[in-house]
Amino acid sequence: MNCEEFQAFGLDAGTSRIKSAEEAAAADHAGKCAKCAALAESWDAARAELSLFGDATRNAETPARVQMRLLQELRAQKRPVEIYRRGGMIAAWGLAAAAAIFGVVSWQNWRTEQHRLKANKNNPAVSAVGAASQSGDYVIVADEDTGAFTPLPGALPVTSDDGSIYQVRMQRASLGALGLPVNQDGASDWINVDLLVADDGTPQGVRLHEDATESATLQ
Amino acid sequence: MKVPDERDDVLLRRAAKGDENAFTVLYQRHQASLYRYALRMTGSAWAAEEVVQDVFMTLIRQPKKYDANKGEVGAFLFGITRNRVMKHLDRLPRELSLELQSNSGVSKEPVDLLTPAVWAERRERVEQVRGAVLSLPAEFREAVVLCELEELSYEEAAERSGCPIGTIRSRLHRGRALLMARLELLRDVPRRATAGR
Repeated sequence: MNCEEFQAFGLDAGTSRIKSAEEAAAADHAGKCAKCAALAESWDAARAELSLFGDATRNAETPARVQMRLLQELRAQKRPVEIYRRGGMIAAWGLAAAAAIFGVVSWQNWRTEQHRLKANKNNPAVSAVGAASQSGDYVIVADEDTGAFTPLPGALPVTSDDGSIYQVRMQRASLGALGLPVNQDGASDWINVDLLVADDGTPQGVRLHEDATESATLQ
Repeated sequence: MKVPDERDDVLLRRAAKGDENAFTVLYQRHQASLYRYALRMTGSAWAAEEVVQDVFMTLIRQPKKYDANKGEVGAFLFGITRNRVMKHLDRLPRELSLELQSNSGVSKEPVDLLTPAVWAERRERVEQVRGAVLSLPAEFREAVVLCELEELSYEEAAERSGCPIGTIRSRLHRGRALLMARLELLRDVPRRATAGR
């Protein structure tokens, strides 16, 4: 080992950075070269002092207050995320609730509609009246006994629930007074009629009994 | 939940989601070495504290800055610390001379049963060495801190400094030479002062 190599490797003696063979060569060179020996001695003294400084700071740690500040920052960073998450949850629940309410209302409407249709099916007179009034095409045959109410001309479609039904006995000719065409052949016959009268007292429809003609004949 | 055994990158991911335990473990793993490096480089406990706090603040605010493909979390943290320290040294090159010795971060407690006089003498000497280390140019100082104080190998020191091994060896060589000269000078000052009386 020469002086240049000693300066490069020799001062690492006693550390893991130098191999034992190099260390032995450095020690050998220092034994022969006074300049390098003085350098090694000077460095040993400096290293001893450096180790004092190293030891004094070996166990140094960041003050605990730094960790507290950092945790506060971490919480502050986390908060907006939580707020967004909570807002998202609230929005999602709101949407779900709105969808549920919409579903329930729709289902109720559908059910009501179904009940209404079922009721109409059970009461064809009302549906016939409704259909006839909507189309404006009235087929009014006073002597035709359908078992359903025949709407009177000019009357609004009314269900039997909206008015009262009166059972009356009248001459067939009286139907003409209600605006219905009457067959003159049996105009004097007595018939039993169900008269549908609206809440305001105006007659809305008539329904002939099946035995109307017969009873009229009997009487 | 086995937080203490988790890898650093896993802890970082969890900390980024607000997991305080994960962050605490990650912090405890790295804070001391980063603080020591910053303290030995800046010579100021206050500056070292600021640097470490700044490093972990960056980790909290921008966790995505860490790229697992580029290295480990420890190396990433050291890289940020080094940058902060160098910025500090560039910004306040004269801070050392203005700073009180009581804020040097050097332990003031006697570690063993020394007499007050011996302890005071040793403490004074430590302060002188600290001053000598801090008087080195930043690159040389870093080489001395990493190789002599942190006792890293040349490879590790080169990796941390982001320079080739040859550069580290060269810097260490020059740093040692300067340090020896300054310490020799400091040793001679009291002697000369005494001799002058």
